[in-house]
Amino acid sequence: MSDVAPTSASSVPSPQTASSRLQAPRRLFSSLEDVFHEEVFFLILSVFIGIFSGLAVVCFRLAIDWMHLALLGPLPQSHSWRLFVVPSVTGLVVAALVLHVFPTIRGSGVNQTKAALYIFNGFIPFRTAIGKFICAALAIGSGQSLGPEDPSLQIGASIASALGRQLEISREKLRLMAPVGAAAGLAAAFNAPISAVLFVIEEVIGRWSAGILGSVVLSAVSSVVIVRWFLGSEPLFRIPVTTFKRPTELIAYAFLGIVGGLASVAFAKSIGYLRPRLKALPRWTQYFQPALAGLLVGLIAFLGAPQIMGAGYDSMDQAMHSQFTWKFLAILALLKIIATTFSFVSGTPGGMFAPTLFIGAMLGGAVGDLERIFFPHLTGSTGTYVVVGMGVLFAGFLRVPMTSVFMVLEVSGNYEIIVPVIVANTFSYLVSRALQSIPIFDLLTRQDGLILPSLEEDREEAILRVEDAMLPAPATILSAQDYVDANARRIQDSPDATFLVRMHPSGWNVIARDQLQRLFQEGKGELTLASVLPAQCLPSLYPDLPLDAALRYVNDYPLVPVVNRANSRQLEGVISRDSVFKKYGSRRAVEVPSAT
Amino acid sequence: MSRKFPKLVSRSAPVILLMLTLAAAVAFAAVSHLVSRYNLNQQARGRRLYQQGLAAAGANHYDDAIAAFRAALTCDPANSQYQLSLARALRDSNDPRRLDEAESYLIALWQRTPQDAAVNLALARVAAHRGSIEDATRYYHNAMYGVWNSDPDANRNRARIELVQFLLKENAPAQAESEIMALSTSLPPDPAAHLQAAQLFAQAQDYAGALAQYEQVLRVDPGNAVAEAGAGEAAYRSGNYVTAQRYLQPVVNANPQDANSRQLLETAELVLRTNPFHSHISDAERNRRIVAAFAQAETRLAECAQQTGIDLPPPAAPASTNATAAASSSTASPLSNLQSRWTSTNPDLAHLHSAGETDLPDTIMDVVFQIERQTAAICGTPQGDDLALLLISQKREAASQ
Repeated sequence: MSDVAPTSASSVPSPQTASSRLQAPRRLFSSLEDVFHEEVFFLILSVFIGIFSGLAVVCFRLAIDWMHLALLGPLPQSHSWRLFVVPSVTGLVVAALVLHVFPTIRGSGVNQTKAALYIFNGFIPFRTAIGKFICAALAIGSGQSLGPEDPSLQIGASIASALGRQLEISREKLRLMAPVGAAAGLAAAFNAPISAVLFVIEEVIGRWSAGILGSVVLSAVSSVVIVRWFLGSEPLFRIPVTTFKRPTELIAYAFLGIVGGLASVAFAKSIGYLRPRLKALPRWTQYFQPALAGLLVGLIAFLGAPQIMGAGYDSMDQAMHSQFTWKFLAILALLKIIATTFSFVSGTPGGMFAPTLFIGAMLGGAVGDLERIFFPHLTGSTGTYVVVGMGVLFAGFLRVPMTSVFMVLEVSGNYEIIVPVIVANTFSYLVSRALQSIPIFDLLTRQDGLILPSLEEDREEAILRVEDAMLPAPATILSAQDYVDANARRIQDSPDATFLVRMHPSGWNVIARDQLQRLFQEGKGELTLASVLPAQCLPSLYPDLPLDAALRYVNDYPLVPVVNRANSRQLEGVISRDSVFKKYGSRRAVEVPSAT
Repeated sequence: MSRKFPKLVSRSAPVILLMLTLAAAVAFAAVSHLVSRYNLNQQARGRRLYQQGLAAAGANHYDDAIAAFRAALTCDPANSQYQLSLARALRDSNDPRRLDEAESYLIALWQRTPQDAAVNLALARVAAHRGSIEDATRYYHNAMYGVWNSDPDANRNRARIELVQFLLKENAPAQAESEIMALSTSLPPDPAAHLQAAQLFAQAQDYAGALAQYEQVLRVDPGNAVAEAGAGEAAYRSGNYVTAQRYLQPVVNANPQDANSRQLLETAELVLRTNPFHSHISDAERNRRIVAAFAQAETRLAECAQQTGIDLPPPAAPASTNATAAASSSTASPLSNLQSRWTSTNPDLAHLHSAGETDLPDTIMDVVFQIERQTAAICGTPQGDDLALLLISQKREAASQ
């Protein structure tokens, strides 16, 4: 090629022209690189995570539907042999896959995502997404009493984690990839972005962080857009007319909250009791546990309650439209608790969101109808109680009170029932918290030998504040405007070794007795204190700050002033190293006996 | 606060984003293909299930139909035809608990296409099941003025007829009548349609309207026996006995077994023969009819008293009658009062021939009509001459009002 002569001079660019042509894209490229700092890149990446998670969840839902149709047929009837044979046989297959191919996919996936954030630096193997996809689709499609939301959450988290690792983003950001993906997966599964964001904040991340909120929201929204694009924007339920007319009816909803709280505790305790016991059985039994759970679910369906199979959204929809008597609704709630408990503790991959909604819906309908028998003047329809009941179990069982309220509002699209929802959810949450101190997801992680932080614990933890360790303001406060000799005379009668100095026009400083006396002896008595003290003022604290904030200063300064937020010259007290440590020590002394 | 990010990304962020965009596009296309194929399969399955549901609904097996339509909807959740059919099956299953669900499907459809006449008609029927006149009327009207896929005029008339039947069932004849009047103006020149409108008018007790519609039918189809019988009865019910006789006579002649028409004809003829206020009769004939009616009233009064076990005092002399009546007026039964009136009026019969243009015939006949109305209220609807007199009294009363 090098022998070929150029055909014309004009066709060969001169070195200068070529170089200038190349420089333009380079400049553009370079300026683009400048734009894409990690923060910006992470936000854009969140959108892609949402897109990929949304696409994965679309496929996941199709897979579940397809499995259901293929295994149980379009019109599953009671008393059909398929009802118990299919979940049993599928259970065997799922067990084999879980034990030999995908050992990390047991359970719901929420804990694993949380563990990835706090323990494994955001690492979730991509294999988990594949395994979860296949096994959960098999299990739920065959009728196991589990839902697709938690697996979707884990699939999203797994995709995000894999993407982050491939792109070699920083460890700090990689850690946050899992929750971002989790929000996307959950939002896609629920078609409810607000609930997904709140759940991830409340349960997975466990703290409000402005740094990640934007990414979580972007991923959730983009995944919902994808799901609606492919599967339409039909809501999960056709919500009937829900009304709340008389404030006195809140008593009825409060009662529903109490019943829901008790049901949540029963549900959580049965899982908490059975799960470690089944896990402790010999390994060979784990091949049969999902199959036996499937057999149990199938038998319940065979004997007349096929509604409890799978996620059960259709049955919830029917319950909202008064298709069942209150007795049957109550029976369905009880049977679903039993079926879901066994499906879940057997190690079958699948989620608890949908069963929780199912139990709450049935319980809500049953309680509402029963209440109306005794109090016919109640105006709330069965549909209203069903919708409120869904939130009640969510608040009581999953212990995510904020998510539960927004989930109901988002699913129902009706803000008229917000007050009943808040009241019922609060009662449920309080009853559940009183009777079951550890939330279900924390319980599960502890059973797995992991200790992960939780927002609920953070909320309940009594924080030590500066005011708790604060000493009264010293009697002698020096003024920086006064002369050294005047200040030296003022401290003669004081027993203190260190004195605060009020600077002018603002700020505080500190001076030791020895230091002041030395200045006086050095003949600097006629200088102002301001002229001999360092220009830099002391840091000051506010009484409401956490005591941890004081730790940063107490080693460097003998006294730290605590001032009023409205007037920084008004001294509320002082903090010293001793006072801080003494406070921590006294608290530890209180906690240790109570812990033992 | 922003920092350059490490390794791979820091060197080629735009390239990576470009690659991610490409990957997303490829994945999007792949999922689109998958979803469209899946949807095609699901739609085919949905159609099969829908046909099963239609067959079951056609055989009135609504539980099976509902299950099939539900399954069809799981295959194609947005299909409004399936939703409409499921709603109809839920509504027609005669289970009040299912009406809520039917309504919620229909409301969802209505929100999407509020002008859809079929959806509005289905909603109207749900409201009709609930007995809600207001909602039903609103949705029936929406259906009438909505968009029909085929044969809009006939469908609109059918919807209005259905509304009329519902209103009549719910005992709202005034609303029904206004709907029938609207219906009658929009009917095609079809005897069957007018016949149906006439029957609806008759059900709403608007016999004049019914007669007009029957006559409309007879103009198009003069030999229509049903229309003749209906016109005769409508004329009879509206007190137009000459017209009734005109329409009923050929009906009875053609079909002597038609007991209803024959009885109506006999009564109409009797009314025409008995009515002293009939035009085109002489004074002598009028007086004769009044005397006969007065005598008939006494007989009716005595029979009714006997039927109810009341002993009426024997007719007293006119001079003492007033005193007796006055003395017992507070305690006497209605029949006794009637007898007192009859007795006190009886002497006036003698002055009938010289009455000329006075009010005497009306006064005497008022007593007769009062006796016939009161005895009808106490002893039930009479037969024969008494029925004729009662009908004449009702016609007179209606005319005076």
